[in-house]
Amino acid sequence: MAQVFHRSMNAVSRIMVFGLPLLFMGSVLGGSIIYRSGYITGRGETVDQPVPFSHLHHVGQLGIDCRYCHTSVESSSFAGIPPTKTCMNCHQQMWAGAEMLNPIRESYKQNKSVPWERVHNLPDYVYFNHSIHVAKGVGCVSCHGQVDQMPLMYQSKSLLMEWCLKCHRNPEPNLRPASEVTSMTFKPADYVNPETGKKENPETGKPFTQAELGKLMKDKNHVRNALTLTSCSICHR
Amino acid sequence: MALRTDSDNPIESGGGDDLWLGLEHFANTPEFTEMLHREFPEDATAWNDPVSRRTFLTLSGASVALAGIGCSPRPASREKIYPYVKQPEQITPGLPLFFATGHAQQGVTSGILVKSREGRPIKIEGNPSHPGSLGSTDVFMQASLLNLYDPDRSRQVINGRTGDEITWDTAIGQLKGKLPKTAKVRILTETVGSPSLAQTIDTFAKQFTPAAEWVQYEPVNRDNVREGSKLAFGEYVNAVYDFTKALRVVSLDSDFLGGVVGGVRYAKDFNSLRKTAVPGKDKDGHTAMVTPTADQMNRLYSVESTLSPTGAVADHRLPMKSVEIESFVRALAKELGVNAGEGGALPDLAKKWLAPLVKDLQANKGKSIVIAGDHQPAAVHAIVHNINEALGNIGTTVKLTKPVEAKPSNQLADYKKLVEEMAAGKVDAVLILGVNPVYSSPADIDFVGALKKVPLKVHMGSHLDETAILCDYHFNEAHALETWGDGRAFDGTASISQPLIAPLFNGHSILELIASLTTNAALVTGMEIVKTFWQNQPKDGGTPPDFSIWWQHVLQDGVVPKSEFPAVAKKPATTAIPAYKAPGKGTELNLRADPNLFDGRFANNGWLQELPRPITKLTWDNAAIISPKTAADLGFSVGIMRSGGGEHGKAQVDIGELTIGGKKLTVAVWIQPMHVDDSITLYLGSGRERSGQIGNTGFNGFKVRSAESPDISVGAELKPTGEKFILACTQSHFSMEGRRPARSAYLEEFRENPNFAKVAAIAAPEWREIDETLPGNEHKHEEHGHDHDHGEKKSEGGAGKKEEHHEVHDKRTIPLTMYPPTNKEGRRWAMAIDLTQCNGCSVCLIACQAENNVPVVGKTQVTKGREMHWIRVDRYYEGTDPNDAANLVAHFQPVPCQQCEKAPCEVVCPVAATLHSTDGLNDMVYNRCVGTRYCSNNCPYKVRRFNFLTFADWKTDTLKLMRNPEVTVRERGVMEKCTYCVQRIRSAEIEAERQFRGIKDGEVVTACQAACPSGAITFGDLSIKDSMVNQKKAQSNNYGLLAELNTLPRTTYLAAIRNPNPEMPRA
Repeated sequence: MAQVFHRSMNAVSRIMVFGLPLLFMGSVLGGSIIYRSGYITGRGETVDQPVPFSHLHHVGQLGIDCRYCHTSVESSSFAGIPPTKTCMNCHQQMWAGAEMLNPIRESYKQNKSVPWERVHNLPDYVYFNHSIHVAKGVGCVSCHGQVDQMPLMYQSKSLLMEWCLKCHRNPEPNLRPASEVTSMTFKPADYVNPETGKKENPETGKPFTQAELGKLMKDKNHVRNALTLTSCSICHR
Repeated sequence: MALRTDSDNPIESGGGDDLWLGLEHFANTPEFTEMLHREFPEDATAWNDPVSRRTFLTLSGASVALAGIGCSPRPASREKIYPYVKQPEQITPGLPLFFATGHAQQGVTSGILVKSREGRPIKIEGNPSHPGSLGSTDVFMQASLLNLYDPDRSRQVINGRTGDEITWDTAIGQLKGKLPKTAKVRILTETVGSPSLAQTIDTFAKQFTPAAEWVQYEPVNRDNVREGSKLAFGEYVNAVYDFTKALRVVSLDSDFLGGVVGGVRYAKDFNSLRKTAVPGKDKDGHTAMVTPTADQMNRLYSVESTLSPTGAVADHRLPMKSVEIESFVRALAKELGVNAGEGGALPDLAKKWLAPLVKDLQANKGKSIVIAGDHQPAAVHAIVHNINEALGNIGTTVKLTKPVEAKPSNQLADYKKLVEEMAAGKVDAVLILGVNPVYSSPADIDFVGALKKVPLKVHMGSHLDETAILCDYHFNEAHALETWGDGRAFDGTASISQPLIAPLFNGHSILELIASLTTNAALVTGMEIVKTFWQNQPKDGGTPPDFSIWWQHVLQDGVVPKSEFPAVAKKPATTAIPAYKAPGKGTELNLRADPNLFDGRFANNGWLQELPRPITKLTWDNAAIISPKTAADLGFSVGIMRSGGGEHGKAQVDIGELTIGGKKLTVAVWIQPMHVDDSITLYLGSGRERSGQIGNTGFNGFKVRSAESPDISVGAELKPTGEKFILACTQSHFSMEGRRPARSAYLEEFRENPNFAKVAAIAAPEWREIDETLPGNEHKHEEHGHDHDHGEKKSEGGAGKKEEHHEVHDKRTIPLTMYPPTNKEGRRWAMAIDLTQCNGCSVCLIACQAENNVPVVGKTQVTKGREMHWIRVDRYYEGTDPNDAANLVAHFQPVPCQQCEKAPCEVVCPVAATLHSTDGLNDMVYNRCVGTRYCSNNCPYKVRRFNFLTFADWKTDTLKLMRNPEVTVRERGVMEKCTYCVQRIRSAEIEAERQFRGIKDGEVVTACQAACPSGAITFGDLSIKDSMVNQKKAQSNNYGLLAELNTLPRTTYLAAIRNPNPEMPRA
């Protein structure tokens, strides 16, 4: 009896046997890469704003503290977008005629809000609260990135739930002293032990590493355990 | 009421036979049995909505195919942020503000605190510093929030002749031109308690020669109370009751625990003497909480026709026709030595009541209250004043003050006169302000006919209602939360009401309308009027240095300091009391204010329409309520759940034709155990014609109301028409048969057997786990759990437990369970509900609805058992014969999610959408839920609610403003349930954690707890040793609902204790 399949079918069947699972795994892998990509999460994308506000200039060069504009970050869930009045505090004097600032002056004149585009947008079923994160010593930079180096604001982290959980499970890498929360340049080695007045970890005799500092701050700031911080109703209600 | 003992196993005895839910349950029909055994109501699981199953499958197939097309994988669409231009000083986006203001009804104001988020009022709480509220609310106060956002509110000023929308200024200008100073003007308002409004109206009236007349008329008014005081004292006097001192209370057809002005305060005060544990000395002489004696607990006798929440919690209840109560009062007065004349003959049971009642009252002189219902005739009120005087109550438990109404009057008499004048053409202009007489006039007063004879008719109201469309001008009235005002509480305490939001539809208040008509200006603002008024008032609380400081304080506190009316020294007399006039023969008809819709003003309020009425559990419609025996006599069928093999929520009832004095009304008939025989009760407020999109439902009781005897009349006839009507009733939903869910005992039984409420476990190996629900045992078990690390872990209980840890571990007592061990570290939230204190008023449902964005589903959906309330109040009857109203007892039991430690719902969820949090909450993760409903299937308490259709209104703009931004608005296909107000817990937690401290006991208050006037609900942290909730759970009458299932519910109940008089003929 003649062979039903031609010899060349061997290669085809090999490709199918090994290739199909590979294809499947590949698409799962590819899917998860795409899912986490900036295309899906919006990470790294600058958003057109009515006024091209530069954090690089205001924070990095002028050294204005985050809380000058985001006033409610320590007291409320919402950090607060500054009212037009805050812009006008300075820009009544500086760049008072700049064309770029027209929307701000118009807003002030007509008593109409400036329609800023939201950059960090969490799903509606997430009840994120800024004040508790700041109180526990999570630096602004941990979630918002090096804002002082952003000429235009963009989202620097994925804001996926897995990203949130990573820190809720193990907050140490992101904890710092409450006084340094808004600092864009803080390094754990800069931490001055308030008891000794030195930049040394009394246990090691060397400057603090982030792991050591995180552990210290977790204790000092009464950060709760991972089990509690990963309860569903901590973030979803 | 049988004594409950530990050995009394309800399962073995097939028990609970004497505890039944409604007539169908009692009748035990096959349909009812089938319904009980269904997990969901028949319709609830079926897809029987207009889209057929086939169409649905086609569509869903298509939608899968098309899923990729319209769906962008890009990040959630960009939102805009609109910051303030100049941020107001007080507002922090994301944080709520609370403002003190007032809610007025029947001329009496109750203080409220309104929660405002970014300028939007989103929740109403009671004002703790206001005497009429003390921090609690009733259903009307809660639901008035929805009235503010009612999309059907009238939105502009309308010229009724042309139908044109006109501006306020134009309308005011035209009106001023049409009101010459010689015009005979009449002003018709509801009862006015606001001093500034009364002054404004008086000033307006005086412009005219002869002065314009001001008539106050509300369909449900307190004429009888006022006229009664006039009979007794010679002038209008207001009686304020102090239930904190009243050990014996006799209610004569009065629903004083909520159904009267001051009811919220009365419920609170009454329940302060109804604690099942009081401070005392234990056996060793140590200070401890002990079981009260019969004299440490108050005792309530209730004589009433229709079962009210007050009657349902009474220790003794005498069903009696409302018309016979006058005879009873006269007989009681006679026994107490008050010469009030003879009454008619009394039924036998009533005669037996008199001697023990009189003895008990006389033994508690100066410590009792006799109170009569608002609808009882003036003579009854006058006699009751005399009885209170004879018992030495006036001056102790009863305080007499001047009237709280700005201008007390006989409203019905004034109204009749007004309509006569109008009909005779003697009135040039009538201003109908905030009332709806076209709907609510008694049927034999032809208001419409009289109105047509008036040349100028001006109406102001929140809706284009029945009256508005017949008037020449309609002004859209602003809501109380949009306007300035003032008012007086039931005890005279004054308060200022401030607006929380600019009028949504540019409305104005009655105050502004009248003031603007008085002056040359087009608009006088409410703030100017109220502020000027109070600036000129003598300040009782000492003169503050500066009015503006005083004003700020008064606005902040919500009360004018020391403005409570002082007691007036008055002695009642019997001389003016008219002699007894025997009522006519025949069946009596009681027309009462609806417990939810009041006089119809709340008809378009979906929350109140869908709130099951406390006793009947009817939603969306009213019905003529009769007793089972009367129903049998009149030929109405008892089996009312028959349609379609028995469905939850759908009651098919007979329609009857109600005839009285020549007036007819076709009305659905509802059979209600514990209602007195030969009597019909019909709630007013339904059957509106122009209330809005949702309120035109039910049967209009005003059509059978007469001006002669508006509240109680005799000679009614009710005949079946042979037709059927579907009522939406939540009564028999979610039955918990045979397990004695609501437990109760008499005080003497409780004293003998304090543990009567505990139930022995079904499965022996689980006994320890079950015992854990008992107070005091908890700590021991902590050491016996699976988790042996406990000793090392930081535990709230502290030291002292270490020793127990070394106790020999008996492996046989390890519970057989597949559930993971319960977290015992840190905060553990729990709730205790005291059934002695619950009177079923159901304000908890509305509070929960407002707090948690619970949608309204509509009548059709309720008939399918799909209502969404996260908490329900079960109402049970106990007794052997439903026809024997005197020997039945009613019980209430609020049932929210029990937050089981071993939650059966969690283990069956295939997608882990319901999980435990570390602090013991049974979390529901909406965005994970795929709607299998397994959890609801496995929930023994049936407290989970499935969002079958898109019940939340996503379209109406005004409703969006109302929602609590802290709570997800749930989509279709998602299970939801009580969360213990997790948003409140988390915000308190964040506040505390930010300050590195623990949460103090009482810092977290759930919405239901805050609203409850009786204080029946206690919520707190089990890890705080002396927390209120631990104290409650330590009481021996604490029990877990279905605790034998080993679910370890965090919500437990304190069995109801009643304090009957041993000498009374016992039920």
